Amino acid sequence: MNTTGIPLKDPAVSAAAGDMEQLERAYIDASTRVPVLMFYTSAIAWLIVGTVLAMIVSFKLHSPDLLGGISFLTWGRLRPAHMNVMVYGWASMAGMGTAVWLMARLCRTTLRFPLLLAAGAVFWNLGVLIGVGAILLGDSTGFQWLEFPRYVAVILFVAYTLMFSWAVLMFRYRRGDQIYITQWYLLGAFLWFPWLYAAGQLMLFVAPVQGVLQSAVTWWYANNLLFLWFGAIALGTAYYMIPKVIGRPVYSYHLATIGFWTYALFSSWTGMTRLVDGPFPAWMITASIAATILTMIPVATVGLNHHLTMQGYFPLMRYSPTLRFTVFGAMSYTVFSVVGVLISLRSVASYVNFTQVSVAYSHLGLYAFFTMTIFGSMYYIVPRLVGREWRYGSLIKLHFWASAYGIGLMTLMLLAGGFLQGANLENPTLPFSESIETVLPYLRGRSLAGILLTVSHFIFAYHFGLMLLGLGRTSTVPTFLNPVEAETSGGGH
Amino acid sequence: MKGLAPLFLGIFGTFAFSWVGLTVLPTWQIGHLNPESDEEGTDIYPRPQSGMFVRGAHVYAANGCVYCHSQQVRADYIADDIERKWGNRRSAPRDYIFDRPIFLGKMRMGQDLANIGARAPAPEESPSPAGAARPAAQGAAVSSSPPSQAASPAAATSPATTTAASPASASATAHAASPGTSPASAAPPNASSPSGQRTGVASPSPGQMANTTPGGSSPAAPSAQTPSAPWPIQTAGLPPMYSAAWHHVHLYAPRSINPDSNMPAYRFLYEKRRIAGERSAEALQLSGGDAPPEGWEVVPTYDAKCVVAYLMGLNQSHPLKEVRSVGSAPATGGASSPAPPGSSPAPAAGGSPAAPK
Repeated sequence: MNTTGIPLKDPAVSAAAGDMEQLERAYIDASTRVPVLMFYTSAIAWLIVGTVLAMIVSFKLHSPDLLGGISFLTWGRLRPAHMNVMVYGWASMAGMGTAVWLMARLCRTTLRFPLLLAAGAVFWNLGVLIGVGAILLGDSTGFQWLEFPRYVAVILFVAYTLMFSWAVLMFRYRRGDQIYITQWYLLGAFLWFPWLYAAGQLMLFVAPVQGVLQSAVTWWYANNLLFLWFGAIALGTAYYMIPKVIGRPVYSYHLATIGFWTYALFSSWTGMTRLVDGPFPAWMITASIAATILTMIPVATVGLNHHLTMQGYFPLMRYSPTLRFTVFGAMSYTVFSVVGVLISLRSVASYVNFTQVSVAYSHLGLYAFFTMTIFGSMYYIVPRLVGREWRYGSLIKLHFWASAYGIGLMTLMLLAGGFLQGANLENPTLPFSESIETVLPYLRGRSLAGILLTVSHFIFAYHFGLMLLGLGRTSTVPTFLNPVEAETSGGGH
Repeated sequence: MKGLAPLFLGIFGTFAFSWVGLTVLPTWQIGHLNPESDEEGTDIYPRPQSGMFVRGAHVYAANGCVYCHSQQVRADYIADDIERKWGNRRSAPRDYIFDRPIFLGKMRMGQDLANIGARAPAPEESPSPAGAARPAAQGAAVSSSPPSQAASPAAATSPATTTAASPASASATAHAASPGTSPASAAPPNASSPSGQRTGVASPSPGQMANTTPGGSSPAAPSAQTPSAPWPIQTAGLPPMYSAAWHHVHLYAPRSINPDSNMPAYRFLYEKRRIAGERSAEALQLSGGDAPPEGWEVVPTYDAKCVVAYLMGLNQSHPLKEVRSVGSAPATGGASSPAPPGSSPAPAAGGSPAAPK
């Protein structure tokens, strides 16, 4: 499809029958058009809603009387609304859109039963809409990451079952018996999510566990959602996009295998690090801290694999939007994991456990790692669905820098503010209010970062809207971030 | 990788491993705790809570209090929660067996609330009717532990005159562990007079504990925690700190109590209405810009009363066998008490990790 500048080869497929394969891929892409665009459109709509909510939440934290006194605009309702919109509206839907497209491509089969998927997307949207409404009207369950009331969980589950059965069908009809790395992660994500969600719902609402175990289940669920659902989709996407864009196979399958299984094994045990020093048996916390330290194994193998794949091709990041976003996301995975290890250590956790550091950590995972990777995949996939190229390279550039600086500033502000807040909290000679006074300037800085992110999201939504309306460029050359004529040689070839 | 079966089994296996390890095993270990009681089976803790408390917990959940307030006290050798007077012992799994949902919390943009009810002044000082809704746990603070030094508000300022005794020994003894931080701890000499000063109920029956106004045996100890309270100024003209009336004013206009507070105002939980006849006894004692115009009053809705009842009921000051209450080594036998199942590396001298069921 794209023949100039950046070579595009399917890493999982031998380059034997060039034309036939291109035709086949075009067919597959076309078959995914309706559901994937549906997922993306709803995801981006939720992203905008979530961003607006985030801005209000961020400003209200240091200016509490802003929009004050109104029940559905109170901080304690907007915050979970923002979080759930981002987690279930934006991230889940965008992730599913990308996962569906990748699955179809890698199973080398046209998408069957697109209506199943479309119906799933409709139900999912409905569920998120009702859930967020319920939170704003005061019907939150009070469990973090699972605030949606039970009736919403039912809707989400129906929606998910539709999408899940699709994924199984897809696998049944796949061609070729090689299962590519990306498919391991995606299959994992597709299976882990319903198990996690069902286990969470069962143990919290249907047959509730006693006392503190509710918290254990909540954080076990939240952490696994972050790693086994979002993290798995993002890692799978990176394993596809990086080799694809630079036109070079993944450096080592062996490393990838180690990375995948250690990731699944260790990251799923890290949930209790959010509860260090809490009223729990010590072994639970210790096991989670140990598992967190062990996640350095997948981080190292995955990071090394990506790095060695990319070696010599880094200059391509100057041109390819997909590569730039994806590599940013892949690098953030390392940062996210290292921060995760640091703040889970008992001596550090006793300082930062109840501070803004945990907010920084969630945003590193969900934004710097997951969202940036998904942005990258959208820049790759959307042109193949609408048959147009992105209209403005400059807008993509702006989107990238606003996002990158935004999330960078936000993380720094929250980490620095959080550590100072924690230091003051652990200093009993200071009154409690001192710790709040300390963190407030950093929260204002965070609001500034939020403005950058808002700008970037509106730019992206506008650009995506143009594509959706068929206003993209008609061209066989993808949109590059910088003019390609200047220096095409990526160093490696 | 080839073949779907090993992939599927591996994916299922890793999930099952983590699910069993982090949720099923703990349920087997600490998922069926019962309340504790003394030998006679009378002094039972914790106890199920009142209807208002339960509804208040839902208001608490609905308005997202948990995103700023934790409800867990960490051990004194880990953090300074206890030194901050957020409790007199670490929280244990048993403290939460009736909590649904649970609000352990992950953020302290506001104070820890695990013992906010224990800090309330004695009921008779609490003018608001909502105080009457104080649930059982408050009464349960009346413990069966040996007598201890009381620290009434008066004691805080003039220790020499202290004569009042507190039944909630645990709270008072907390001060022995943190000398120098609280004015009340300036009164250790009195503590050495272990006379039967423990007022009122000698061996409180459940019925008595449920009684919210146990006469002279009102749990006065909590007020001992007030002196080093985190809000800098307790302005005159406001209800006693942490009383029900104070909570109402604080929820309605947080910045009237602490100008720097960044807590949202929950005005939608209150009703501003024209005074019909006489001013309601429930009306909030507001001043300045927050006060309603002449002829109007601000009264709490039922939800507001419930959430205050909930806050007043948050109280973990009752000693637990598996957790060492700070400074009460002789009282609760810290040395001989077995390490709890729910404790992180407990320094308890006895160290034998038996799981009391």
